[in-house]
Amino acid sequence: MTELRCHYSGDREQAIVSYLYGEDAAFDSAERVHFEEHLATCNQCRREVDAFNDVRVSLAGWSPPGLRSPDHNIGSLPGPVSGATSPHVPWWRAMPAWAQAAAALLCVGVAAGIANLEVRYDAEGFRVRTGWLSSQSEGAAAAAVAGTGEAPWRADLVALEERVRSDVRATAMQAPAGTAAIPPATSVGPDPLRRVRALIEESERRQQRELALRLAETVREMNAQRQADLVRIDRNIGLVQNTTGREMMRQRSEMLNYLTVRTASQRPQ
Amino acid sequence: MTSTDEELVARSMRGDADSFNQLILRWERPIYALAYRTIGREEDARDVCQETFLRAFRALPRFRGQAKFSSWLYRIALNLCRDWMRRERRTGFVQPPEDGDLMDLVAADHPSESIEDLVARRHQVQAVERAMARLPDEQRTAIVLKEYHGLTFQEIADLMDCPLSTVKTRLYQGLSVLRRELSDTPNQKANTAGAGREGPALHLKAAFPGTRREEPI
Repeated sequence: MTELRCHYSGDREQAIVSYLYGEDAAFDSAERVHFEEHLATCNQCRREVDAFNDVRVSLAGWSPPGLRSPDHNIGSLPGPVSGATSPHVPWWRAMPAWAQAAAALLCVGVAAGIANLEVRYDAEGFRVRTGWLSSQSEGAAAAAVAGTGEAPWRADLVALEERVRSDVRATAMQAPAGTAAIPPATSVGPDPLRRVRALIEESERRQQRELALRLAETVREMNAQRQADLVRIDRNIGLVQNTTGREMMRQRSEMLNYLTVRTASQRPQ
Repeated sequence: MTSTDEELVARSMRGDADSFNQLILRWERPIYALAYRTIGREEDARDVCQETFLRAFRALPRFRGQAKFSSWLYRIALNLCRDWMRRERRTGFVQPPEDGDLMDLVAADHPSESIEDLVARRHQVQAVERAMARLPDEQRTAIVLKEYHGLTFQEIADLMDCPLSTVKTRLYQGLSVLRRELSDTPNQKANTAGAGREGPALHLKAAFPGTRREEPI
């Protein structure tokens, strides 16, 4: 037979919690057996334990946002603690080659401007002059090489030109292989169109699903509201019926009273 | 082989920053989850989580190893949460938790769920969040530590600086409040209707097959 009121001899709240979480250290076996025997006969405790189990089921479904993605990272500490393990790359290595070349040219230009470089090649020969000295001391300051006819630098210049040409040819031969080996960082793969299409389709699917979810939620809320309204209407109708019924009863009893009184008064003495 | 917390702590104390990074990676999710469930605000929970590790890093030379590293970390996080709630209370009551995005649920671990189930689950989660926000701080903390972090009664008592029996009382009172608050939600009614006599573990498996306790201890 089950009891309606709980008569557990021990501390009921403590026993329920210990039983619920099944922690042996806090609930020795004798105590457990005692409580389980009680539970078999006590409706109140059984209902409470069941209800708490349901609460625990509901609690289990709650997970914080952001913990759903496995690679979620909260952030890292500043300084050496969070030191990245990627190898050190100098900042200038990250720049594209054309930018490096442009920067180098700019540097040379600025340096030449500062040094007031003057290069002249005319009938007097090839002349390079630097510095801010006046034209009077030009002869002394200039690092000039003047000459007529077959100048000694001409052979050097031809050799230099040849070397530059051969270097350019060698670079041109190597360039296609290098380009094939290392695709540019902005490459979008062998079939970018297909990828873009897939992305668009994925986005559309996501939007449709979101729309469906919103709709379902709205429908659910409308249904809940409708049910609440129906309950309210039902209750109001019941109230009206009650009031009407009471009023009718009152009138009937008044009429009955009246008739009884009238009948009694008209009865022959 | 994975190093234990104690080994990583010892190495961190000798100046090995990488070991401390490993500790962060290991514990940032539980600490963030604890902060979020205690204060109910995602951004603030992230701040609390970061601050917890910063404080732990600064205080590492003073860590004597008398308690487990995780308990020490939990204590720092709980203190920060308490400060946060005190600050919030000065400006107003603890706000109800933010509504999660519905798409978060889609992306969650039930991809094959029907839309109706998803919406129902979302309502259930919102009901739990609201109910938890209504709990007094001590009861909420006790429930979070027990339900989501699997701490023993004694560990919770140590963290909350109270006797073991007080922990049980707080759990009982907290569960009673939640029971009242959640009794109106349709899912709870369904659970109650279908509740058998099996233990909580079976309930959990049946209702949330994908649910995992993400917080190790």
